[in-house]
Amino acid sequence: MECQVALTGKGYVLVAADTVAARSIVKMKHDEDKIKVLGSHLLMSYSGEPGDTVQFAEYIERNLRLHQIRYLQPLRPSPAAAWIRRQLADSLRSRSPYSVNLLVGGYDIATSEPHLYWVDYLGTLAHVPYAAQGYGSYFVLSLLDRYHNPEATLEEGIETLKRCIAEMEKRLIVGLGKFKVKIVDKDGAREIEL
Amino acid sequence: MSRSYDRALTVFSPDGHLFQVEYAWEAVRKGTCAVGVRGKDVVVLGVEKKSVLQLQDPRTVRKVVMLDDHICLAFAGLSADGRVLIDKARIECQSHRLTVEDPVSVEYITRHIAGIQQRYTQSGGVRPFGISTLIIGFDPQDTRPRLYQTEPSGIYSAWKANAIGRSSKTVREFLEKNHKDDMSRDETIKLTIKSLLEVVQTGAKNIEISVMESFGKVTTLDLSQIEATVQEIEREKEQEAERKRSRLAATAAGQAAMMASSTPSTGGASEAAPGSGSGVQ
Amino acid sequence: MARRYDSRTTIFSPEGRLYQIEYAREAISHAGTVLGILAKDGVVLAAEKKVTGKLLDLSSAKEGGYGGSGEKIFLLNSNVIAGVAGITADANSLVNYARTAAQRHLFSYNEDIPVEQLAQRLCDLKQGYTQYGGLRPFGVSLLYAGYDVHYNFQLYHSDPSGNYSGWKATCIGANNGTAQSLLKQEYKDDITVEEAIGLAVRVMGKTMDSTTLGSEKLEFAVLTLDKTTKQPHAKIYKPAEIDALLSKHGLAKKEEDAEMRAV
Repeated sequence: MECQVALTGKGYVLVAADTVAARSIVKMKHDEDKIKVLGSHLLMSYSGEPGDTVQFAEYIERNLRLHQIRYLQPLRPSPAAAWIRRQLADSLRSRSPYSVNLLVGGYDIATSEPHLYWVDYLGTLAHVPYAAQGYGSYFVLSLLDRYHNPEATLEEGIETLKRCIAEMEKRLIVGLGKFKVKIVDKDGAREIEL
Repeated sequence: MSRSYDRALTVFSPDGHLFQVEYAWEAVRKGTCAVGVRGKDVVVLGVEKKSVLQLQDPRTVRKVVMLDDHICLAFAGLSADGRVLIDKARIECQSHRLTVEDPVSVEYITRHIAGIQQRYTQSGGVRPFGISTLIIGFDPQDTRPRLYQTEPSGIYSAWKANAIGRSSKTVREFLEKNHKDDMSRDETIKLTIKSLLEVVQTGAKNIEISVMESFGKVTTLDLSQIEATVQEIEREKEQEAERKRSRLAATAAGQAAMMASSTPSTGGASEAAPGSGSGVQ
Repeated sequence: MARRYDSRTTIFSPEGRLYQIEYAREAISHAGTVLGILAKDGVVLAAEKKVTGKLLDLSSAKEGGYGGSGEKIFLLNSNVIAGVAGITADANSLVNYARTAAQRHLFSYNEDIPVEQLAQRLCDLKQGYTQYGGLRPFGVSLLYAGYDVHYNFQLYHSDPSGNYSGWKATCIGANNGTAQSLLKQEYKDDITVEEAIGLAVRVMGKTMDSTTLGSEKLEFAVLTLDKTTKQPHAKIYKPAEIDALLSKHGLAKKEEDAEMRAV
């Protein structure tokens, strides 16, 4: 029942994820952060098999950090997404594959462009203007088809995101509770309140 | 056939020396000087920067590097060896965070680096690393500054202040004389620069200073800031010399004229020409 | 006396030196000159070939590969070219390693490898060969000319010890001292690639042993950005193009009798 939504606008990417940690039909926790800040201008939301998600996200986090310390600059969003995809694709073909789906959002300082990537546990990578994963995507994607505008200001983008979350609240059989939202733009990645 | 290659290169001599380790020390002594000084709640790394050649890109000459957010390292010796060892340390820093979630402590990473250096003095078919390192940093959730040193032999040790590389003995002696516990930030920086000036004749432009004030807070001083301190030190030296001169003059006044010609020394200057072979930093 | 420390494999001498590396450097100082110049809109590499014999068949060089003769200048990746000086066999294996490393990066990251990273990769390999037993160092210095979005055009030099550094203009191989001082005099910070080509040709003309320049003695390459795609474009000159370039700069060999050497 997890859901994550992300969209790009003019110079930013917004990523939202639910905060529920559930086991079977029980909510264990409702303040789980499922969006990891991977670098100054990169973040990643994740969903999937509970143990796998954190394990994988931390592995990615540490390796990207190592890259930055080694080469004195962070990986740009596109190579970072490609590398993350490669890790999942390699994992899929190993004895114990990770079962993790991701949305990777980043701001490329070199070209001053926001980028969003959709990645799933099968190692699919797609460069997209907006994305959603989980059951919520059934309601959210049509909304985004209608309202997404790549030139939207941050206020408009947040408005669209609120609309998406409201729709999930309304239609999805299980309430997902509060969403955590993070943004990445030229000033870096950080959390915001809706 | 392969036998002759896989045996240890570093073996005991009949009188108990590990010659390869001792010779590796020589490579360290050829390297440019690096100084680490601990203050009350600050720790400073100062290095002698070789002047870059006219057409060289200064960006690629790196002697002080970050291992992680909170740990900084300077080395003296063969720079290619340095790069490789630093890379191993950086991997360990992140690997440690991944396995136990906490950042490494300064002693942990020092021990790790020293451990690698030790292995290269003992295992088959390798020569030791021709570098010594100074490592500064703060432990997580701690406010005490740390300073460690590692050597080619794999020995590591904690210090209040120390120097490695060219003329490090002169600098160490200077530090032994002048180091005080509980120095402030400015005092620590000044002592670092002052000690480096013992071996760096060309002044501020060949000095690089990194200051760590708390966990993850590192700043590299601008040339202008270093220059200001250097000028301050020079002024003090002059005043000191002036005082000496006037004292001397006073005592000499009553004495023979030949005494007046003696001039006070201005501190131990060392000549040691930099190694001719490039690749030593 | 020194014998004990300078044979077989790389170990420290009593003065803390690694003789094998110094000897490898020595080998390079006799090799054909390679020269690199960084311009604001491109990088230029020029290299001197040592012609081994009159009967050497150079015809394959006219079409083969990316141009050049495959002796001094190589394409490492679509954004990096390299000039090598030293033992050719060692160079070949390093070039092969570099190409593989670049492709592996492309495979993992779906982007061209940043130039410094590629240089670093090779240097890590080279350093290993100075530290592990039973191996001699690579007797090769390289100049890497490349482009990436991080630092735009770049020029690096790496030597047998596994050191590297960035340069605006530099030179390795025989007579590199002369070339360096010429470059120091003539290099300007805002040099254009066209001017850099001219400078490279002039310096090579002065430093090469032979009195005349020709495509059989010279290799030449330029890395620029493609005007339309904005992607790096490496051009390794074919023999005919080198001759054309030389005659454009008045250094062609045909006018051997006339003192045409306009400087």
